[in-house]
Amino acid sequence: MRIVVRGIGVVGAFGCGIARLSEALQQGPAGRVGLALTVGRELREIPVLRADTTPLEAFVPARSLRRLDHYSRLALLASHLALADAGPDTVNPDRLGVVVATGHGATGNAFTHLRMFLRDGDACASPTHFANSLHSSAASSISMMLRATGPNLTVSQLDLSVSCAVLTARQWLLEGRVEHVLCGALDEMSELMGYLWYRQRGMPTSPAMTPLRTNAETAVPAEGAAFVLLSRDERGAEAYCTIENVDTGGAAGSRPCSHPSDLLVLAADGRLDSGPQYAARAAHARVACYSPLYGSTPAGPAFDVAAAALILRHGRVFGSPGGEACDFPATVARAGEPFGGSAIDCLTLTPDGGYGLITAGRR
Amino acid sequence: MRLVLHRDSPVAITGLGCVSAAGHGLPASMAALFAGTRRPAPPTRLRSDLPTRFPVFEIADFEQPVDELRTSALGLLAAREALTDAGLDRDALASLRVGVCIGTTVGAVMGEENFCRMCLAGLDPDLAPVRRTLRNNPADVIALAFGLNGPRQTIVNACASGTDALGVAGSWIRAGLCDAVVAGGADGLDRVAYIGFASLMIADDEPCKPFDANRKGLNLGEGAAMLVLESDPTCRRRGKRARSRLLGYGSAADAYHPTAPHPDGAGLRRAIGEALAAAGVRSSDLAFVNAHGTGTPDNDRVEGRVLADVFPGVPYLSTKGLTGHMLGAAGAIEAVFTAACLELGRVPASAGFETPDPEIPNVPTREAQPVSGSVALSQSLAFGGNNAVVVIGNP
Repeated sequence: MRIVVRGIGVVGAFGCGIARLSEALQQGPAGRVGLALTVGRELREIPVLRADTTPLEAFVPARSLRRLDHYSRLALLASHLALADAGPDTVNPDRLGVVVATGHGATGNAFTHLRMFLRDGDACASPTHFANSLHSSAASSISMMLRATGPNLTVSQLDLSVSCAVLTARQWLLEGRVEHVLCGALDEMSELMGYLWYRQRGMPTSPAMTPLRTNAETAVPAEGAAFVLLSRDERGAEAYCTIENVDTGGAAGSRPCSHPSDLLVLAADGRLDSGPQYAARAAHARVACYSPLYGSTPAGPAFDVAAAALILRHGRVFGSPGGEACDFPATVARAGEPFGGSAIDCLTLTPDGGYGLITAGRR
Repeated sequence: MRLVLHRDSPVAITGLGCVSAAGHGLPASMAALFAGTRRPAPPTRLRSDLPTRFPVFEIADFEQPVDELRTSALGLLAAREALTDAGLDRDALASLRVGVCIGTTVGAVMGEENFCRMCLAGLDPDLAPVRRTLRNNPADVIALAFGLNGPRQTIVNACASGTDALGVAGSWIRAGLCDAVVAGGADGLDRVAYIGFASLMIADDEPCKPFDANRKGLNLGEGAAMLVLESDPTCRRRGKRARSRLLGYGSAADAYHPTAPHPDGAGLRRAIGEALAAAGVRSSDLAFVNAHGTGTPDNDRVEGRVLADVFPGVPYLSTKGLTGHMLGAAGAIEAVFTAACLELGRVPASAGFETPDPEIPNVPTREAQPVSGSVALSQSLAFGGNNAVVVIGNP
């Protein structure tokens, strides 16, 4: 039994929708915007990659969006886009599961909730902000808005969140629990996350992200959401690609399973602490890396899966922005190179030896 | 590694461990359960300027190391007990592919309160609390402490997290992804949650009374519970006999409201149906049900009606009257208690229950009683309308 990607929904700094991602993959990164932060007593502005959720109004009446925060809007927009991409009437909501991955959760609401009772006293805490500060609030919003009554799960494993989520989604389909799974990842660039980024990593100063140059910090913090609609393969149904395999683990010096993949899409995102892991693991492989399009975010590997799906569908590799700066012995696939292979491995590595490997295959 | 479909095969449970206000370790916890010992009191580690000092079930004699979050430290304690119970030492673990799947709410939250307070005051606080949070992902902490190399997954499905973690872990074993999995939940008492539940007006200012007509809400608790799940080939190789078996898992969403359960318990009914079908048992086969039973008016009314409808005549209880609501750890400790009660063939009284609620057709257990049958069910309902159910059986 094979699991396939039937639809893709993405929203990031490049815009929203699979067509915009495809354009960005051909044209290069979008511009950064400034996120205003109070650092000590000073106001600073750090460059970030933000996502606009206004297009959600095309799917959901504005009245229904009033109480939805940015975190849930990101997830809901990407979900609607994935369903629309799969085509109308593809999904029976009673047989639809939802799996959401998030590295840090609803940090905007969590910080607002804290701010309210720290400023005004514990009795002034907002029940709405408390409920919406839960990591699972985005997945719940999806189930409520789409009337999806199947299993609903949120996982948070920092940079490995996406591989965990896809592993579970795939397993649900293999077990026959559901007919379809909306599986995706999101993280928001809240004031709190921007501040933490600035304090931990300083002001992003590099003019461009060069994630395959592993001896320099070039990451730009970002937000976004990428969802796929997964199903069991059916004769006659359109699909981008298969999800051949998911493997994740680590922590004790283990290695990802080796697959005869034809291309390795690396989730390297310009962070100095994980760069050397990629250099060690991807040496001598044919690699690509698209993180400069969607920035440094735990949701990044979900965008990688979307990019792999486009490569498999169109049979051509996209160029890796900043790939010319690669400082380890790998072959960086060039823009427009034909791709006739059967599998693409999307690889995520963490500084402590953890790994996530999602293998997308030709259908 | 290829996933395969083996949904209906039972999964061996070879180790149990737990820590809560009811006790350190399973033997002490079970003794407290049957003694009906409960000591909810206003929190000692949390300060609040709320006009009401809501009682909590706090673990009194436990201090976590400075570089560990309370949630992770409690998780480690329970994992150590469960692995010891399973007879898995570091050498044995090193030869196996062992996963970790942990449910939590507090353990995955960025934004430590004191850190944020200083930020808002225009100070630039030390980053140590943030780094500590990033180092304390509950699944990572357990994997690193015991040198485990399989999948690591932290589930953040609000109050159903612990039950969902068991279901996901069971699927890893069935699919051949792991030889064994440390699965469960952990949550330390947290001021944000304390204030949050008060703001929702679902915290009781007295000891909680699950399913009682006069219930007013929940009492928060803290702790952790872990189960070691193992594949049958691994058990055979080790000559280890299962204590219990995870027979089935089901989950479903209400798709109804951010904090209230569906009035007819639609998602819960579906999750129960799925879990029973996966386990291959009928509702009448159950020895008892360990209910979610938080003590909130809405939860207990909906859950009580579903229990009466789906499991007529089957004894049920809530153990939250003895542990408090442990949030992401609740489903895990309730699964541990379910397995242990099945072993004993007895269930305790549902602590806090006195007066039947006319809106709930059946009443929970009023006193400790023997139960017949070798299968029981434990269920969790969560914010966002998530419902999760596990069916556990004697080996």
